[in-house]
Amino acid sequence: MFRQGDVLIMPVAEESVPAGIAEAAGEPRDARGRLILALGEVTGHAHAVTGRGRLIREPGPADGPMLLHLPEGGRVVHEEHAAIPLPRGWFRVVRQREYLPGSVRIVAD
Amino acid sequence: MNDVNTWRGVAAATGAADRAAAERGVRLAYRTAGLAEPERIIWADSPLAGVTAARSLDGGGRSVRDAVRTRPWAAERRRMHDALGPAGWAAHWNTTGARLWDTTRALAERIRGGVLDSLAGKPEEAAELRPVLLDAVLGQHDAAWLAAFDGRSEPLEGLAAVARHAGWWWPYENAVVICERPTALHRDEAGRLDRSDGPALAYPDGFALYAWRGMPVPAEFLDELASLTPERIRGESNAELRRVMLEHYGYDRFLADSGAKPVHRDETGILWRIALADDEDVVTVEVVNSTPEPDGTSRTYWLRVPPTTRTAKEGVAWTFGLSSDAYEPVRQT
Repeated sequence: MFRQGDVLIMPVAEESVPAGIAEAAGEPRDARGRLILALGEVTGHAHAVTGRGRLIREPGPADGPMLLHLPEGGRVVHEEHAAIPLPRGWFRVVRQREYLPGSVRIVAD
Repeated sequence: MNDVNTWRGVAAATGAADRAAAERGVRLAYRTAGLAEPERIIWADSPLAGVTAARSLDGGGRSVRDAVRTRPWAAERRRMHDALGPAGWAAHWNTTGARLWDTTRALAERIRGGVLDSLAGKPEEAAELRPVLLDAVLGQHDAAWLAAFDGRSEPLEGLAAVARHAGWWWPYENAVVICERPTALHRDEAGRLDRSDGPALAYPDGFALYAWRGMPVPAEFLDELASLTPERIRGESNAELRRVMLEHYGYDRFLADSGAKPVHRDETGILWRIALADDEDVVTVEVVNSTPEPDGTSRTYWLRVPPTTRTAKEGVAWTFGLSSDAYEPVRQT
């Protein structure tokens, strides 16, 4: 389990990856060829993964978790946080949230 | 073909409309629908002005919104649905329109509410305008479904062109009323209207909405935020406004100024609790960023967690949807 700021990256055993996800369309890469785990809309800073692999949004709410597949491992980078090397495998990417009475909101740094 | 981020930009675009380009889009949409081009195109400075102009339009004829917008949209949706199949359509929608749906729909809803609120003193007028308001083609705020059809649906090119260059519009047989875009739009990371020192949404004629992290607030309330005191915050009887005050004042400052004591401390951070009269306690975790700032200091921040939280670790784990036991990062930065 790895944490970079407001993003948590949890290893997922390959056998527990939901059916259909492996074949599902992946998220497009950004102009610099990176997979964007979370984008700060105000700062423009992003938690991004470099290296081969795919990022797949799980069905559900727009800000729901995403699955990250890195067949050869990769590296998660951000303008304000130290980079973290990631081993190869499947991961679930979770955004940090904050409690609000009656609802919950996503945190962004 | 544009991507979903281009349409995200269209939905959030501010500044003067490109009137010539928008009018070309309007004419194209009419021709595509098999209609004669409108004789008159009337510009309005906000949805409030637009709905008023549409209501009092003289000789505009009947609304042709169905022919211009609804039917072509439904036909294209059916065509793509048949071509892609139900699962294919759902997957396509998930990667396009669904990304923009919640925020643009919420924004349009807030604008409708703001228009009706501004007429609150005139209930008869509000009742008359409500159906007209619901009848608008949303221009830039139709970005979600236009994103789903982009590059695949020639019959929607006229509608897409208007959306790229202008705000809401009302198509009638002989005339079109079309609105300028906002002059200012401020939202938080979650896409909600949010600004502490002015209107979160404003149009050229002064029509504006004030909000703090999505919550509508009176303009005067924002002026007061600059001079808050812990006593004033504790004394506020409206729980929602008090929450806004607390967030604006800063939990950290409020904790320090009210002499609050930490409830629990562990390797993940510190848990604080503030008791409030007639409201649930405010419980926050104080966390220190693992990566120092360029000046060598570490940024501390506070996240509100459910009032049932007992330990700092439980609070941090909750922010990621995990139980205290399951939260074990091996590396954090």
